[in-house]
Amino acid sequence: MAENTTKSLSHPFLMLLILIAHAAMMLLVLLTFGLKAEVLRLACFVLAFDFIGSIVLQIVHREACTVDSVLLLVIGMSTIYQSCFGELEFALRHYLFGIGAFLICQLSYLLVRNPYRAEKLKPLWYILFFGLVGAIFFLTGERGIWIDLGFITIQPSEFVKPVFVLIAASSIRTQLHKRELFGLHFVPDNLMLIFCTAVIAGLQWWCRDLGSLPTFVAVAGCGLLLRFRYLREKMSVRLIIFLGACAVAAAIAAWTLAPAYVQERLHSDIWSDMSGTGYQQVKALTAIAEGGWFGKGAGNGSLVHVAASRTDIVFATISEEWGLFTALMTVILVLFLPAAILTVPPRSYYHSGLALGVAAVFMVQMTLNIFGSCNLIPFTGVTIPFISQGGSSMLSSGILAGFLKAAQAPVLTSPCAERRG
Amino acid sequence: MAAKTQQKPQEPMNPQLDVTAPRSMRRAGHGTTLLIIAFLAALIYLAYVLVTQSPDYIAKAGAATYGKVYDRHGDVLFDGSKPLSSYPAGQFADVGNLIGDTSGQMSNTLIAKHRSELANYSFLYGGGNQNVSLHTTLDHKATRAVYDALGSMDGTVVAYNWKSGDLLVCMSKPCVDIALGYDKIEEMPKGSLLCKAFSPTVPGSTQKVSTLLAAYQYCGIDATNGMIFDCKGSWVNASGQKINCHNRSGHGTQTLQQGFENSCNPFFAQLVQSEKLPLTAIIEGYTKMGYRVNGAEQPGFSLDGIQIPPASTTLTADTDFNTQWGCIGQGETLVTPYQLMLFQGAVASGTGKAVLPYLLSARTDVDGTVTSLGAVRYTDEMFTPESAKAVQEVMIKNAENHYYVSLPDFNCGVKSGTAQVNEDGREYENSLLAGFCLDESCPVAFCIVIEDHVKSHITSAQLAKVLLHALSDT
Repeated sequence: MAENTTKSLSHPFLMLLILIAHAAMMLLVLLTFGLKAEVLRLACFVLAFDFIGSIVLQIVHREACTVDSVLLLVIGMSTIYQSCFGELEFALRHYLFGIGAFLICQLSYLLVRNPYRAEKLKPLWYILFFGLVGAIFFLTGERGIWIDLGFITIQPSEFVKPVFVLIAASSIRTQLHKRELFGLHFVPDNLMLIFCTAVIAGLQWWCRDLGSLPTFVAVAGCGLLLRFRYLREKMSVRLIIFLGACAVAAAIAAWTLAPAYVQERLHSDIWSDMSGTGYQQVKALTAIAEGGWFGKGAGNGSLVHVAASRTDIVFATISEEWGLFTALMTVILVLFLPAAILTVPPRSYYHSGLALGVAAVFMVQMTLNIFGSCNLIPFTGVTIPFISQGGSSMLSSGILAGFLKAAQAPVLTSPCAERRG
Repeated sequence: MAAKTQQKPQEPMNPQLDVTAPRSMRRAGHGTTLLIIAFLAALIYLAYVLVTQSPDYIAKAGAATYGKVYDRHGDVLFDGSKPLSSYPAGQFADVGNLIGDTSGQMSNTLIAKHRSELANYSFLYGGGNQNVSLHTTLDHKATRAVYDALGSMDGTVVAYNWKSGDLLVCMSKPCVDIALGYDKIEEMPKGSLLCKAFSPTVPGSTQKVSTLLAAYQYCGIDATNGMIFDCKGSWVNASGQKINCHNRSGHGTQTLQQGFENSCNPFFAQLVQSEKLPLTAIIEGYTKMGYRVNGAEQPGFSLDGIQIPPASTTLTADTDFNTQWGCIGQGETLVTPYQLMLFQGAVASGTGKAVLPYLLSARTDVDGTVTSLGAVRYTDEMFTPESAKAVQEVMIKNAENHYYVSLPDFNCGVKSGTAQVNEDGREYENSLLAGFCLDESCPVAFCIVIEDHVKSHITSAQLAKVLLHALSDT
């Protein structure tokens, strides 16, 4: 009860903070561009979203205020960023996808807030998983990752991520459900996770786009690690060494067996091919350097003319215009989403798995995007959740945020109890 | 194993009654914490890399404006803030291949190695400021004096203060004039873009200093000084091969001092073949001095990032002609004028260690902050102090007896050399002079090379006089 009181008090306070943060950013935009209709339009839309969003949340449910608040804050910020890159033009599409992400977050929350029901729906997740894999295989064409519907392009692999997180999460009850075959005991759920991981790895290989593979491997790794740890007070040193050795062996195998185009990225010197393979990274690093700590000012960047400036190298684009300090703070703000479970820990094994899976997706994606564009690791075309432009990514991230919210504010009534009730 | 697990009491299955999460469930939180900590640590590292490397990014991407490079008296050696053509003609003609420019045409120059530090940029202040400058130890006036004195001849002169390490003169001719640009790069004389002070060359008889040092190290001072060998104009070694002396009528019986002053080839060939000085001792002595003997690994030198290869030679047997010829300073022995100068610094100091030269003395940042860069650092002991003092004495006597006319005003020690060079089928002789000055007003070690010296209007000793006078005047 006391906990709920604290939350109800903190909710308006957090909403006020969000309004202040967005108002401050808009003030900077106003100072840069002057009083223009486009500035007012942007301000109205962003602040209206904050206002309406907070009221809706206050009325509907306020248990998971951390996730919702961070989501409102981040979506508003990214709308301002995307609207100001290069010149001021309200990013309506990004804004609408932001609202979509916010709404889909609530839907996914409702879907998985009951861990018993969510896990019972696992066959449905498998169907969805293989359905999406099939869609990538058959509908994208020319071994690509996009489905072009004419009026919109969809990236199904983005939607595989939340489904894969649902598959990777598991409850203790499922782990105790063992089968025996040829004298070997195994958990079918674990075998399915490994199988799904192999399928997605194979698919990515086939698509010649291994950029998202680390994300899936991280989710599967976290899921398996948690499963190992569910049933044990402590992990044995032998097991830790074995798992560590497996990880190292897998990394070495991936490094040496990677296809030629990946090997090229691993070993290429961007500065010796500034107009070729290193073009985007060179431009990104130069833009970050030119932006310095506090940036050139909103709309004053030049990186926007480079392809993927709003998606794969968006960290550099923000750094150039708003400064490295703001870019880092934005990334740290996104970190608040997975960190939410540190304040209110999950209260079911299934939600624990979901939360860690989402954390793995968010952090691996941010790592690949930020460190790749800054040439510290090979460059891959992945997005920063909620910050990069892209509808599929935005909606997929919204679904994942819903999982975090479910982990924070679960409904812990078993289906049997519900029926009795 | 499975049965064991099943027997273990489980956490409450109705989590509604369990306000705090069970320990095993909280492990998801631990995992997330670990991920976040790792990510934050990586972000901090990223910020560090970006902040420290950003001047380099700006420079490499060609998005920077550059500051100035000054000599020790404030004379401009490079200016990135305005067209170099606005300076008097020839302003940069004597230092182009040492200081370099930002065009990327030369890779082993001061600016090539410090381009990002010369960029008018900092992560905090951005790129609008024009304060950045690099301050060098070079004496442009003295450099210009030797450049002019060399006239139409090619060659190199390198000199440094053996007490402080300040590189005072480093001139290599032919030299690119960076103010004229590279439109006619095909017409530039060969070697214009290369500072020959850092390129290995045949050392001629200046190599005898190294051989003498090896002898002093192994045999001792008195024993070496007591050695006497005969010269009849030529000498046939144990392998039946003849080594000629430049004095075809012979020097007769000579002491070590006389052999050194006469620069007598048979004397030093006999010293190398002598049982008193085994080849292993010479190899050991050379190796200690930084020679790559018979291909063995040896680090080179770095002058504020400018790369300088180590000396090299091949020594197979003490009765072998090529070995003896190499110890005399011909054949396969190659030494950079820079390293010859360094040996002289170690001899002049009398310690066997040389102060390492440096070219950058300070850097002015975009915000006007001046950072001092130069510091006195020493080489490892290349030879014993006793050997250094003994060679110093021999070289001073050599200067007194043979160079008094050229260098009357200085307390010097010198050793000359004539190097037989075969380059692209063209045979010619280079004149070398390595030495030091012990005067308090001019503590300088130097090396001079005049290419194809028979055509020269000036001797290496006369050039040394110009050098020392220019340096003592400033």
